[in-house]
Order: sequence, then structure tokens, then C-alpha cells
Amino acid sequence: MAQKSNKQKNNKARAFSSATKSEPKTNRSTTESQRELMRLQREREAREKKVRTGVTIGIVAVVVAGILAGLIWLIPALAAKKAAGSDPYALSIGSATAAVTVDIYQDFMCPYCGQFDRAQASDLAALVNAGTVKVDFHIMAFLDDSSNGTKYSTRAANAFVAVAQREPSKALAFNTALYQNQPPEGSNGLTDTEIADRARQAGVSDALASTFASMQNADFVSKSNQAAFDAGVKSTPTVKINGAAFKGDLYTAGTIKDAVAKAGPK
Amino acid sequence: MSGLLERAHTVRQSNVWIYTTMMLSACVSLLASFVLSVDAIELAKNPAANLACNINATISCGTVGISWQAHLLGFPNAYLGLMAEPVVITIAVASLAKVRFPRGFMLAAQVIYTLGLIFAYWLFYQAMFVIGALCPWCLLVTLSTTLVFASLTHVNLRDNNLFLPERAHEAARAGLRMGIDVLIVVLWLAAVVALVFAKYGLALFA
Repeated sequence: MAQKSNKQKNNKARAFSSATKSEPKTNRSTTESQRELMRLQREREAREKKVRTGVTIGIVAVVVAGILAGLIWLIPALAAKKAAGSDPYALSIGSATAAVTVDIYQDFMCPYCGQFDRAQASDLAALVNAGTVKVDFHIMAFLDDSSNGTKYSTRAANAFVAVAQREPSKALAFNTALYQNQPPEGSNGLTDTEIADRARQAGVSDALASTFASMQNADFVSKSNQAAFDAGVKSTPTVKINGAAFKGDLYTAGTIKDAVAKAGPK
Repeated sequence: MSGLLERAHTVRQSNVWIYTTMMLSACVSLLASFVLSVDAIELAKNPAANLACNINATISCGTVGISWQAHLLGFPNAYLGLMAEPVVITIAVASLAKVRFPRGFMLAAQVIYTLGLIFAYWLFYQAMFVIGALCPWCLLVTLSTTLVFASLTHVNLRDNNLFLPERAHEAARAGLRMGIDVLIVVLWLAAVVALVFAKYGLALFA
């Protein structure tokens, strides 16, 4: 029944629209049916205007909601990112789209950095491989004075920068290799040959390992060191998770993994 | 307020508005296609060329430009834009000067441009989910192609250049009068933008 009356209405509307197309308005006295058609048109126009207002409100709502959502999400996120990642000397290892960024400030001569790496390296490598974590290494060399003048911190850092920049997939392994049997503070450190050997064992190409001795990244290392001090880093290792300083136990396996899980995507 | 909205509504239905939108969108699309064509030559000479639009790992026209998807037909896709957009501009300018094209001509334009739109979104999908990088000029093409398509479809539905049956044509005209087409375009573009942010998030600003 309802369907039928709908159909009738449509037919009338159609009749009207074709009438307006073909017949210009005349001044003849309006008949009953013409009045009826005009009434139908007014009704239709009122209906359309209602929908049109709703559609306009809908469009404005979508645009406003989009802009608001964007601002609410973007501004704090960008601010946090700026606070976390303003160091141009950070060496990023892992997916750029990883949900969690772990910043590590380290000096290869620092014994606690070695202890940290030996406890956390396998977890970090697994998290980086899974695409969950991006590690930003901030290389420091303030312990240069603790290697009998051989500047071991800078030499090791120079090699690490080269690997992180050119063969990043080998960087974590090389980092860990430098901390295995770490030379003690106050010793001469590893020789250039030993550093290159450890790089090769970590899978770094011969071509790259043979460039270490020319110390191409010495300037980068000293600037990176200064940038870390400027950022307020007072000791190594300093670890940040998504920009926030990690205050837990650095030297027990699993602590970083847990902190990443808490900071990670819901 | 309501009066203003009604005025905006009337303007939107006018030929001047529709064809001006079409012309400007097509000009933007042509410009973007031109830049992409020049970049394609640059990349052919030197695949490692550092283009101005390589902003970071996510926003990189170099990464997109050297992909096989960027030369689907054996030549840079942007050449298609160089061929098609001037036709759209011609149609728009002629229409602004009150030329009326035959229905069959407009139907052909609609069919070809619809294929172009499908291609543009296929490329957008490939860049988003397969190549994993976005290029600013390609996104501009995606946007302007959508706007040209919307205005072309508006005209063709209104004037029934698509040879729809009477009832469907009436329904389409009613939809246009109520601004449903604008709502669809706005929702569509909002969805595209949301998709980009959901997929890449802060990596866009790295």
C-alpha cells in the first residue's frame, strides 16, 4: 500500500518535470491539477532543502572533525618527536615507522655501556628485527683520555658510524662485537686492526672495514659527542624510550623489552 | 547564515563554478604531471638523483619514480596526464565560453576520465601499500584527478550526457541539488587523508 502511494507520487513528480520542460508558463486560469502539481513541487523543494541543510552540516562536520582530530593528535606527537629526535647525529637502526624509539647514548670505552649491551643486546636485536623498535645511537667519545693517548673511544666510534651509515643491517652485531671482551678503561683499547677484524666477524664488508683506519668520521664523532652533552646527557649509558629517560635497571636482561612493550602500540 | 548557504548552493550549481573548478583542477594536474615527467627523465639519466621532493624515507618521489609501477605502460605514467589534462582544460574553457558539446562526446570524456581515475587510485594504492613511499606530486595528481572527475560527473549527470533512463536521471539531479556529490567527495578525500596518516603517522614528518 505504502509502496503504491510512493509510486503515484513519483509519477506525478515526473509528469510535472516533463511539463515544465515542454510547456512554457501560461496565464490561463490555473486548473485544479496544475495547483496540485505546484503544491507537489513546493513540497519537494522543501524536502530537498531539508536534506541539503543536513548534507551541508554533514560536510562542515566532517571537515571540522578532521582538522580537530589532526591537530589534537599531531601537535603533541610532533612536540614529543621534536623533544626526542632533535639530534642530527643520531644513528638510526631499524624501521623508520617502528612504534617505539630507543635512544642509547654510549661510549665504547665505558664499562657500564658494555654491561648494558651484554644484558640487552639480544632483546634489542629481536625487537629491531620485528620492526617494533628503532634504535637511535648517540655516539660519545668523552673517555678518549682513558686509553693511554690512543683515543680508543673515537677510533671505535669512527668505525661504528661508518657501519651504521653504510651497512646499517650489521650495526647491532658490530656494536655487540665491540663490547664482547671489552678492553678495560685505562688500557690502550683495541688496535685499528682488531676493530676491523671484529667488524668483519659481525658481517661488515671488507671494503668498508678497510676504511676505518683513515678516520673519516672523527669530526662526526666529536660533534655527536658535543650534541649529546648539549642535550643534557651527563653519563653513559643513557637510555630513552620514546624520548623519556629510562630510569629502571639497565643491566638486567628483559627490562628494556618490558619497557618497550609498555610504550609500544596498544 | 542560511541565506549565505543557499547562495553558496546556487553558485555551486552554476556553469561558471563547475567549469572553473574543472579548469583549475586540470591545470594543477597538468602541472604535477609535467614535474613528474621531468623528474622521470632525470631519474632515467641517474636513478640516484636527489630530487627536491625526496623529503624523507616516506615522502620520496625518487623511490616511487624508479618503481615498475611508475612505468606501467613502458613509459612514465605522467605522460598520460600530459596528454589527457589539456583536453579537459579545453573542454572546460570552451564550456565557460558557452560551447555545448554533443552528449556522445561528453560520454566518451567521462569514460576515459573514469579510467584515468581508476589508474590514479591504483597508483595511490601501490605507493601506499606496495612501494611504501608517497610522492607529493603524485598525491597532487590523485587529488586534482578526483576534483576533475567530480566536476565532470556533475555536468554529465546534470545534462544527462550519460544516457541514463529518465528516472535515474531525475534521481541523480535531485542528488546534485541536495549536494550529495560534495558530501561523497569530502568523505572520500577525508578517508584518503585518514588512511595516509593511519599508515604512516609521524614517519611523514621524519
